This record gives sequence, C-alpha cells and structure tokens, in this order.
Amino acid sequence: MVLQLIITSLAMGIVYGLVAMGFVLIWRAVGVVNFAQGEFLMLGAFTAYTLTEVVGMPMGVALGVCAFIMGLVGVIFHFMTYWPLRKSWDMTVIISTIGASIALKEIVTLVWGPAPLAVDPLVPGIARFMTVAIEWQFLFTIGIAAVLMGLVFILLEKTYLGHILQATAQDQYAASLIGIPVVVATGLTFAISALITGVGGLLISPIFFVVTTMGGITGLKAFAAVIIGGFGSVEGAIIGGILIGFIDTFSGAYISSTYRDAIVFLCLILALIVRPQGIFGEKISEKV
Amino acid sequence: MILDNVCKRFGGVVAADEVSFTIASGQVRGLIGPNGSGKTTVLNIISGLCEADPGSIIFEGDNITKQPSHVRARLGIARTFQHPRLLKRCDIKANLFLGIDLANMKEKSSLFSKTDDHSLEGLLETAGLKISMDDSISSLSYGQQKLFEIVRAILTKPKVVLLDEPAAGLNTKEMERVRALIDIAVRNNAAVLLVEHSMDLVMNLCNSITVLNFGRIIAEGIPAEIQSNEAVIEAYLGKGRHA
Amino acid sequence: MSILLVGGLAIIVPFTASNYLLRVFNMTMITYICVVSLFVIFGMAGQISFAQAGFWGVGAYISAILTVDLHVSPLLALFASAFGTALLPAILGLALFRLHGHYFGFSTIGVVMILNGLFQNWKPVTGGADGIANIPPFGIASMTFTTEMSLFYLILFMVVAISVATYLIHHSSLGRAFMAIRENEIAAKCMGVNSYLTKIIAFTISGLYCGIAGSLYAFMSSYVSASSFTFPQSALYLVMLMLGGYHSLPGPIIGTALLMLLPEWFRFLQEYILLIYGLGVMVLMVVMPDGLIGGGKKAYEFIRDKRGWISANKKRPSNDLG
Repeated sequence: MVLQLIITSLAMGIVYGLVAMGFVLIWRAVGVVNFAQGEFLMLGAFTAYTLTEVVGMPMGVALGVCAFIMGLVGVIFHFMTYWPLRKSWDMTVIISTIGASIALKEIVTLVWGPAPLAVDPLVPGIARFMTVAIEWQFLFTIGIAAVLMGLVFILLEKTYLGHILQATAQDQYAASLIGIPVVVATGLTFAISALITGVGGLLISPIFFVVTTMGGITGLKAFAAVIIGGFGSVEGAIIGGILIGFIDTFSGAYISSTYRDAIVFLCLILALIVRPQGIFGEKISEKV
Repeated sequence: MILDNVCKRFGGVVAADEVSFTIASGQVRGLIGPNGSGKTTVLNIISGLCEADPGSIIFEGDNITKQPSHVRARLGIARTFQHPRLLKRCDIKANLFLGIDLANMKEKSSLFSKTDDHSLEGLLETAGLKISMDDSISSLSYGQQKLFEIVRAILTKPKVVLLDEPAAGLNTKEMERVRALIDIAVRNNAAVLLVEHSMDLVMNLCNSITVLNFGRIIAEGIPAEIQSNEAVIEAYLGKGRHA
Repeated sequence: MSILLVGGLAIIVPFTASNYLLRVFNMTMITYICVVSLFVIFGMAGQISFAQAGFWGVGAYISAILTVDLHVSPLLALFASAFGTALLPAILGLALFRLHGHYFGFSTIGVVMILNGLFQNWKPVTGGADGIANIPPFGIASMTFTTEMSLFYLILFMVVAISVATYLIHHSSLGRAFMAIRENEIAAKCMGVNSYLTKIIAFTISGLYCGIAGSLYAFMSSYVSASSFTFPQSALYLVMLMLGGYHSLPGPIIGTALLMLLPEWFRFLQEYILLIYGLGVMVLMVVMPDGLIGGGKKAYEFIRDKRGWISANKKRPSNDLG
C-alpha cells in the first residue's frame, strides 16, 4: 500500500515537476509568471486524447507528435501574449496570460465539447513486484518525465543553443548586443516550456478524466512547487514538484481526501513564512 | 549623534569595522573613502536599513540601535540616497507630500504658510527648482532630482541629515545649490553627515572629516589635517612616489 | 459630474431595465466593490493580492450562516460580515507582510485556495458543496428588499458609500502612504511611513469591502456556494482593475462595467462569448497597457496636441492627486 502511494506520489510529483519547470523556464527568460501554464497541461491532455482515441496512434508516436504540437503552441502563445508586451510592465503580460488561459479553455470547449473525456492507459497492464501491484503506466510516466527533464537539462547546460537561451534569460539587452536574436531565444523558451508541460498533460491523461478544468488546480499546485523549491531555480522546480506530489498524495490518503488541496497550499504558506526563498532559491535583497 | 563601535559583515565581506564617530548639531562631518570602503553601509546602519552587528547608535542620548527606520525618521533623522529614491509614477506634489506628511506628523503645523527660507517655497527656490506641482517627477533632470531629494529631506526640519553623494553627477551650478541647501540645514542646527567624493565640497563645507578604507577608520580630523594625511593619500592613490 | 452620473443611473436603470438586466447590474456593482478592494491593496499600496474572492466568500458565508442558522437580523449580519471579514486580513497580514516583494502575492494564492477548500469541505459550517440556501432577504426595520429594484438601490448606496470612502482615503495622508509604499518602499520607510503596519491597514480595508460585497451577494442571490469564491474569480478582479486602470477610482468603474456589462450585449454570440472575452483581454493589454483610463488620457493628449491647443499653462490632470 505504501509502495503504491510512493509510486503514485512520484508519478504525480514528476508531472508537477514538469509543469513547474515550465513555469520557471518562462520566469527566468522573461520575468513573468505565466497564468496559462496549467492550460498547457490541459492542451497536452486533450491532444493526447485526439491522437490516441480519435486518430488511433500508438502511444509512442502520439508522444512525439504531441510534443511537437505543444512546442508550436508555445511559440504561438509567445507571440500573442509576451512579444507584443515585451517592453511593458510585467503586470500587463500577466493579465494577458490570464486572458489567454480563459481563451484556451474556451477553445478547448468549442473544439472538444464540454463532456469529460477518457484516455486509455499509456501502457496497459499491471506490474507485480512481490505482493504489490502497480499499474505500468505510473512507472512509464516517471520514466518518460525523467528522460524529458534530463533532455532539457542537457540542452540548457551542454549545448550551444542552451547557452544562448540562458544568456538571453539573464540579460536580454546584452544578449542582443552580442548578436543573439532575442525573439528566437524567448520563443524557443516558451516552446520548450509548453512542450514539457503538454507532455505532462499527456502522461496524466489516462489517470484523470480529461476536462477543461484540469489545468487550473494542477497548475496552481505546480506553482506552489516552484515557490517551495525556490523561485527561479530549475532544480527547485523539480524537487518542489516531487515534494508536492508526495504531500498531495499522502495527505489525501492519510489526512483527508477532501482537504488535500487545502493542505498543499497550507504547506505553501508555511514554507513562505519559514523560508521564502525556497529550497534552492537565493535571497533577493534590494540594493540601497 | 554618536556611532559607537559599529560593525557589519555581509558574508565574508567586512563592510564596517569598529566605526565610531560623533556628529554634532550645527556641524558638518564628512565621511570619505575610496569606493567600496563602507560609507553607504554606515549610512544604511544609521538610517535603520541595515543592522549594526555589533555596535550602537546613540541619538540625543537615546540608544536607537534597535529602532526601525520609520521611527528614526520620525525622531528627526533624514537622508538622501546615492540614486534618488523618488515616487516615479507620481507628480511633484505627491513626492513633496512624503516630506510634508512627515513634518506634520512631527509638529502639528502646516508648512505652506511660513515665509522664512526654510519654507517650502524658499527651499525650492534655493534648489533652483522652478517646477509646477502637477508636473510628473520624471520630468526633472538627474541633477534636479537629486536636489529635489535634498529638499524633501530638509523640509521636515530634521535634526540629523545624512547625504549620500549629493554632488555625484551634478554640474557646478547644481553643486552650488547643494551647498546652499546644506547651509540652510546647518543654520537650523541640524547635524550633517556628508558622504562625498567631491573633495571641493568636502574640504570647504566640513568641520571635521572621517576617512574609511575597507570598513575601518584610517584617519580623522579637520580638513587641513586630512589633506596631508599619508594614509589617506595612500588609500586613494596607492603607494609609491607622489609629486 | 459624477453625482449627475450616479443620479442619472439611479433613475434611468431601475425603471427601464428588465429584471434580468437589473440582476446583471446588481452583480456588476457587487463585483465593483471587490475590484475597489483590490484597488486599495494593489492599485494604491502596490501589494498584489489574489485573496479577494476568498474574503468575498467569507463575507457571504458569515451573513448566510448568521441569518439562516442563527436567525440574526440581516442588518446585523451585514455589519458582522464587514468587520468579521476585515479581521481575517488583519490577522493574516501580521504574518504575511513579513514577506517581501512578490512572495506576499504568492501567499495570497495560498490563502484563497485554503479558503475555497474550507468552503467546499467544511460541511457543518458552510454546507460543503451544497452551500447554504434559503437566505432571507435583506431588511431594515419594516423594509424588506425582495425585488431586484430595491436591491439595486441598496447596493448602489453601498457602492457610493465605499467609493466616497475610497476617494477620501486616496487623498489623505494614509492614501499617500499607500502610494509611497507602492512606488518606493525604502524611501517611504525613511520618510517615516511604518510600511508593515500601513500594508496591514490597506489589506484590512480591502477585507472590509469584500465582506460587505459578500454579504450583499448572499442577500441578493439567497444562496451561496463555494464555486463562486475561487482563484480564477480573484484573477478576474485583477483583470478588471488593470483593464480599467489602477491609478484612480474611475479605473475600477470602467474595468468592471466593461467586463461585466459588455458580454451581455454580445449574449447572442453564446458559446463564443468567453473566447472573445479572453482574446479581448489579451488585445486590450497590447493596445492599452495603462488600462482604459490611461489609454483614454493618452488619446486625449494626442488629439489635443494635434489640434495645436495651447497646453503650456494648462493644468494637466495629475494622476494620483486631484
């Protein structure tokens, strides 16, 4: 039983981690909190539905196609919300992302209808380890998400492209002065963010009903993960996500399944009071 | 005001190391030293933005080391900043009100009626600021903003005035105006601590000077003494043969 | 000028609008009160808060529980809602305003989510997912407010009272302290503003407003349930404030009116309405980042300069004072 909970926690946690990473990538690149991040998750799930149930692709292919589509979504999103407002105050971009989240939910309702949809398990079947039975798909979720995170890490740390993205994230003006096309860097960052979050949506689509509201609370919990892990830190986002996954699952099982969401956010507030900069964050103080 | 053995570390950097001096009413003390010597840190400690650890600040006989910034401001400790801290999106009137509200808090009287040179109009004229109350604060040039900040500090009739490089980035005319404003403060018996790089201003205005380097006091005395002090010259210019 | 507008509104609307439209107006006014509460804490004091919808809910539930379960008079319930709700941000602020920068804002996300969790699940007190029904209508002495029209006047009265109060705060030294904190907290502190306490005051005032709005909502709809008091609702208040303009009171008026009344005009678009809503917000932010008031001012100045009007000695309307 506990092992099952642990696996579930890890699976959920790593998906939270993907969404949280998505938040952090955008934050680091353009200094804005994307209120539509949860909707990327939702879009990924709906896309997964269409690709597997309607078009009938095998899950492996669907994964790749979904990732590609979500990358494109990220780029379009970038040009509609951030790019026109890049010189304005960040609040305006935030408001724009709020508008985008409303719009995205409506587009999904118009295209797929309001009824909840069901997606078949990623990988059918149940694995048995000694006395414990775990659905294979949880293990696959953990595996695929981990691989994806690893790929993003390698991209950011080890490749030239990644260095360009990091440079632009740290100082757009300086980056432009040395010849980096800022629009490509920021656009690509949004694309990656949407891609990993969308794949997260695909991974959890068989576990929950696919509904337009699925992005909302998951997105907020992932945001809590970002804060607890350390606002602005990619490692923090991942660790925070997994932590939230554990808090969410275990408090749901042992404390109260109805209050599990509230408990997650209570932890957020407690974490903020005790250590606002999170696990990996740095204390930001104003120079006087 | 007395600073007693004030120390401050930021991680491995010693910003202030056993700094002690006195600022007397009606007098100007200069606080100079090369960049990074800890002058702004000292100002921050006095105005309460930074905590001395250890060390104490005594103001009019009371130990104010643990008092928060706003209490110190209400007691009569005013300051300016290296880069003017103004309310950018507000107009001149709103920015001045920040000072006026404080003055009204301290003594329940309105400032607009008096006609001495310490009145609002008088200060603005001394500062050479011919501005309309409704103008946006961002319409002022950098020099004007710095002068404005000094006006805002002085109009509250403070007992201690801390000035952080008021002349930096100003032309000669504007520096004259800074001088005039400091004169007004001194005439009203304020104790002035002047952090500056402009030796002209420092040597002409200050009654006494404290020199910091790497957070420590390396010299103290009247302007004439400081000018010929070996340690001071070395701190600014380095060891070696001088002309 | 505004008196004429309000007076005109007060006469024209109730007598010409259908019951349905009156309800829309009433809901708009209640929403406006919440947006003004955000104006106080964010527009003036610069502290972004997502907790408003949660406080709104607290106000609604207090009134509902008092009148339904405890048979308290509605007037008393209104007062209890107002001050009871105000107590919450006052206490929360003590802990939360120790957080700097955007961390306070993040904590308010936690606040609204926790409040919503309580509303949804605390069955004995809030009725859980079923909510609280059969809330008696509002009444003072022998007057009961059962018709949409009577509610209109009640809510309008509160709207005017709150707007006047906010205007007075805006032009007082307290309001100036709020704005000083918003613009440059360190300068404010060094000029004698107790920023910690002042922020708590701003938060408390905003809680007071939300409490009143919640109470009015409970009496108007006779039924409260957790689904109204959510984080997206708080986000919507923020959108309305930003869209209208966060610098001064006309901003919330326009922002709320636009986002609540305009969709009614486009009712015929049915299912596309929310899509246009969302897209509209995005477009408006690009076209008018300062909100409609700011954009309106820019347009006014643009036209004025184009026509070569003498602007040298003309008193330009100042943003925050006057």
